[in-house]
Amino acid sequence: MKLSEDDIYRTSTQYKHWSFTPAQLAAQRQKTNLVAAERVKANVARQRATRAKQLDTASASESDRANTPGIENGNGEGGSTPARPGGEVECLTVAEEMKLVDVFCERALELGAFCGFPIEVTATGIQFLRRFYLYNSPMTYEGQNISRTCIFLANKTEGIHVTAEEYAAKFSNVTSDQVLAPEYLIVQALRFNFDVRHPFRGLKGAHLELWEIAKGKFAPLPHDSRTGEAAQAEMLALPTKTGEPAGKRVSVNEFEKRLTATYNAASAVLKTAALLTDAYFLYPPSQIMLAAHLLADEPLTLFYLSTKLPPSSPIHAKLLSTIRACATLLSSHRSFTSSSTIKEEKEARDKKEKSAVAALIKKLRHCRDPDKLDLVQLNQAHKRDAVQDGSLEEQKAKRRKLEREKAKKEADDFWGPELPKNGAKAG
Amino acid sequence: MTFSPVLSPRPNPPGTKMATNATAAKAKALAILNNSRAVPSPSVASTPGDGGLDLAEQMNDEVRRRFVSGTRLGEGTYAIVYSGHYRHDPSKLVAIKKIKLNADFKDGIAMDAIREIKFLSELSHPNIIQLHAVFSTKDQNISLVLEHLPLGDLEMLWKNHSISYGGADIKSWANMLCQAVWFCHENYVLHRDIKGNNLLISADGTVKLADFGLARSFADPGRDMTCNVITRFYRPPELLLGCRHYGGCVDVWSTGCVIAELAIREFFLPSETDIQQLSVICDVFGIPTEETWPGVSKLRHYEASFGAAAPKHPHGINYWKQRFPLLGEDGIDLLRGMLRMDPMKRLSATQVLQHPYWTNAPRPTKKENLPKQGGGEKTMGEDLKRRGGEIETGRLDKVARKLDFGAMKK
Repeated sequence: MKLSEDDIYRTSTQYKHWSFTPAQLAAQRQKTNLVAAERVKANVARQRATRAKQLDTASASESDRANTPGIENGNGEGGSTPARPGGEVECLTVAEEMKLVDVFCERALELGAFCGFPIEVTATGIQFLRRFYLYNSPMTYEGQNISRTCIFLANKTEGIHVTAEEYAAKFSNVTSDQVLAPEYLIVQALRFNFDVRHPFRGLKGAHLELWEIAKGKFAPLPHDSRTGEAAQAEMLALPTKTGEPAGKRVSVNEFEKRLTATYNAASAVLKTAALLTDAYFLYPPSQIMLAAHLLADEPLTLFYLSTKLPPSSPIHAKLLSTIRACATLLSSHRSFTSSSTIKEEKEARDKKEKSAVAALIKKLRHCRDPDKLDLVQLNQAHKRDAVQDGSLEEQKAKRRKLEREKAKKEADDFWGPELPKNGAKAG
Repeated sequence: MTFSPVLSPRPNPPGTKMATNATAAKAKALAILNNSRAVPSPSVASTPGDGGLDLAEQMNDEVRRRFVSGTRLGEGTYAIVYSGHYRHDPSKLVAIKKIKLNADFKDGIAMDAIREIKFLSELSHPNIIQLHAVFSTKDQNISLVLEHLPLGDLEMLWKNHSISYGGADIKSWANMLCQAVWFCHENYVLHRDIKGNNLLISADGTVKLADFGLARSFADPGRDMTCNVITRFYRPPELLLGCRHYGGCVDVWSTGCVIAELAIREFFLPSETDIQQLSVICDVFGIPTEETWPGVSKLRHYEASFGAAAPKHPHGINYWKQRFPLLGEDGIDLLRGMLRMDPMKRLSATQVLQHPYWTNAPRPTKKENLPKQGGGEKTMGEDLKRRGGEIETGRLDKVARKLDFGAMKK
């Protein structure tokens, strides 16, 4: 009476709504980019037309011109449209958008660490961010606001209570309104799927299992005829590189060091590269975990796999090639360092990356959607519209009913109305 | 893989036909996404006509348009519940739970709503209320489209003395409940508010676990959880003693309480305060000691609760036989296994389903033959609108609840 991990995973929203083939992923990004670019162009054109009109009328009285407020300066975050009138707006390409989203994700990782949130919270927040930008473009919604709110929302979905005020106070010049403004936008783009499955616990599980085998307490599956002693002996003599012959048997204590080093290396990959690439969209958590483990210690990972599946099984070969593909994706990320990485090379890479990002952000400034710059105002406008649309009456009735009930309750209460419990609830 | 002994709880084994009526909604939702995904070279003409809506807004509107909202069934501090149906098929009924925007709540979308949506979206099982869809309305209210469950709840059932039922009926209800709990735990979800009025009954008599507003996933070892969960009558002793590390066993205790209530047709362990709750429990099960429950004296509230108390011994088997004749000896054995004070000794949800009680005679009553009551849509409204952990007493006295909508045929 046990559901297999596969059964459980297949009913998850992560599998049903957020798993893609590379082609599907590319097509969705293409579509999002196209829609956003069209809109940016249309909105910028409209804004220019309005401004030209304003300038025409304003030119009559020269003094007025200086006071004409730029609409785009709503929140003062510098999103000015290009000065060249009439010139076509140069929008971001899909690749550029992806690059920017990757940058947002890296910043979000830093943000989570800065706030001292547990890694699952930050990891969930980053996946929210990636999911959000699958259906929205960085040209439409600003990365900083969105990632801040994604991390806030992730706290809530992971069951950690942080008030918007406490959270906003961690940053300079951020109000709780700014934190909350894009929340609906985000949950809508997430299609109200709040559950993100991570590979962290799986890695811990594999580590514990391997440690048991090292101690000679192997619990073999039906396909495996190895005894506890045989499995232990094989494991303790594992070569450090694939293809090499079995090495000299080391002591259990010695081997523990190798296990710990593997765990730490794999864990580091899961906490960086796995979050900052498309891994979650393309692979289930277990495969991401195995890929990170493979990067950390290939012979050990192959040994681990052999305890799960007979190496002769066709599934074994298929799984291994999938894991290798995932490992290639993870190791392709800039954050990945192996023993063969040269320090100077990495520094040069980081520097190049930095200047590329700076250029991109500069380009983004010129193709932002002018309608979506001030999310706080946009959010308020949304609520206002809705009230005007007729739910006002309902709300009024609701309020009256609540007041009536409250008054009645207070009248019933011999000791009079209850005193406010704390300052926050008073009034 | 093995199957549960009674009624396989696996909803849709992978690879089988997905789109039977129950899953049609989800399949459809998927199809919509797939369509939008499957466009390899999007046409430029996608902007006009979308009214300037984001892709996400369009998807949301698409979901919202699939449902028609009807009369208001109930309103609480937390939500308003409406009856409703699918637009394309008015005979497909749903309940629409609109989460209220709380002006006092300054932290955006409420945690209860997030938890409920998060867990119900992941859990798909015949004994767990189905979440058909979620959408938001213009005024930024979130609405949950839930399964329509018109026949009241388990608490109403035992309270309604115009209905008589026997041991086989209890076994049937209890089994559906235990499968729901087992499924939650297999998915690493703790419900943390199991009680009679969170167990709703569908038109065909199936028991469905609802209200996941207090649910959470299993914590990593060593990480604290709150002990202030589960409605008091159903709260296990370790939580009352301030334990912050726990697992599925807390739900098993609550489940045991619900089964006990079904058998005696009254609250099993009622009390007025948390402190009294502990003493009510100890009246039946004795005061735990290091001997009966290793480690208990280290729990936060142990000293304050039992430091100076005279020892109290648990009731013997005769108490159980006298009080629970409807359960039979095997049923009593199961119940006592679910209600062990020491959570380490308590049965797990899996062990509960492996108990011989389920397969021994009498066989559980078939769903279609179970006694039913006309709880009516109103009850569903009342049950769904509550915030987790709320106790309501004397509900049956309210006239409105006696209205019979249950006779309403699909």
